[in-house]
Amino acid sequence: MVRINPEKCRACGVCLDYCPLEAISLVPSGPAADVFSETTVVREPSGGSPGKEFREVTAGEQGGVVLFLTAGPLPDTSRQLRSRVAYIDPSLCVQCWVCLRQRVCSFGAIEATFPEDFYHLFQHVISDPVETTAETGVPGRGTEEAKTNDVSGRYRRGEVGVAIDMGRPGLGCRLRDVEKVAMAVAAAGLVLEGPEHTPLAKLMADLKTGRIQEASRDLRVLSVIIEGKCSEGKLPAVLTALRRVETEIETVFTLGLVSRVEADGTAPLLAILERLGFPRPLRGKVNVGLGRPPAAET
Amino acid sequence: MTHSLHRFGERDSLRGDFVWLSYQTKGINDRDLTPIMQEIVAIAEKAGSVNWGDIKTGSILAVQPEEIKTRLKDSSRIRGVFTSRQQVVNFLEAMKEKDFGQSVVISGLLEEVLPACQEAGVIPHTVNFALGIWGRKELLPEEDILAVTSMCGHHMISPNLVRTLRERVRAGRISADKAARALGRLCPCGIFNQERARRLLEG
Repeated sequence: MVRINPEKCRACGVCLDYCPLEAISLVPSGPAADVFSETTVVREPSGGSPGKEFREVTAGEQGGVVLFLTAGPLPDTSRQLRSRVAYIDPSLCVQCWVCLRQRVCSFGAIEATFPEDFYHLFQHVISDPVETTAETGVPGRGTEEAKTNDVSGRYRRGEVGVAIDMGRPGLGCRLRDVEKVAMAVAAAGLVLEGPEHTPLAKLMADLKTGRIQEASRDLRVLSVIIEGKCSEGKLPAVLTALRRVETEIETVFTLGLVSRVEADGTAPLLAILERLGFPRPLRGKVNVGLGRPPAAET
Repeated sequence: MTHSLHRFGERDSLRGDFVWLSYQTKGINDRDLTPIMQEIVAIAEKAGSVNWGDIKTGSILAVQPEEIKTRLKDSSRIRGVFTSRQQVVNFLEAMKEKDFGQSVVISGLLEEVLPACQEAGVIPHTVNFALGIWGRKELLPEEDILAVTSMCGHHMISPNLVRTLRERVRAGRISADKAARALGRLCPCGIFNQERARRLLEG
């Protein structure tokens, strides 16, 4: 997973601006120091503020080295010591690897290690769009939804595809909130997609109810998509469930509704939305029907 | 993925902002695609695509176009940005004529995309309609920041970086164009519209 090597960090603070979720901070002390044991005091400095006392703390058997430095006069003023070090809060980081892939750090202080278990691997793969989800074979959040429907025939006339982008735009989400929403829409009649279509299904303990594996509920990701489909007749109940559950979560989601359309782009779905009081959607992603072979009509 | 669907901002700001995508369907038409993809990219370039890329390699704002073309393979996903309806029409007309058999998607304001389809003589098959943001909206960044960050639908662009660059633009320390391109380099798909971002940063 991603961490900052304090041996290399110069506390320039550049990486802070790049983190989409504000998981990086400059710390004089704090959470990292609490969990690591002290092993050395004072070391040769490089950059930073002179005249500050410097104490290095190491992670013991974890092998990671982190920070911390306190303000105060230094006996040997010939030493220029760093007063702060950048730190990635593991409870906030979603392993999107923006900081790593973009080579944000000029000093190479941002390093990665292999994810420690399946859940952290999932966290990285789902948060870093460059990675590919094995089951779906699709990079990014790993789903084709409407984009290939002219060939796949995944959504038929009379059906509505529902794509709930949990944590998007840009806030991230815990899987316990994903579970709340998934269970609400499943109870309202949405049939959740399986692992061949969507990566989230791998963490579902029960695809019929939307229940998430207990061990993964605290996992945080940049975003993950709850996907399913229902008949047009069940859409009002699904939307009502979403209206209720949106008040029970600690994040946001964006909603996309997929439908077969007529040549002019209209669809029965739009009339349903109008009846329910939703404004007519301004934006859409239009599959223009050039894929071959065409999906069989039913 | 719905990463090109949910772009935010004032309606006027969303005009002239189109994402194009070309997709193979796994297990059906996903073989021997490299020359086809290279041809599709050439068509998009000719139509005026201001940005494009393959997520595995990056966008043309970060990587030389020739390198991206060289590294295209069957599993690549190519996407890009148009900034006018006429570009979309030209692209769709050429794609229809070539009949590569790949799925083609245009994301944008429906009042602009649907007429462009009609003009190009292609028939919309399926639409993913954007129903907006739900939940704790009060936690979101300011609307003008979100308008920029949401152009990378995977949200690889931090609101704080946009704020920092906007301040530098306003202070005259960096041009809006340079700042927009710097932000666009963070979006590996190539769907970031650096021209719209430039306008937003200047505003």
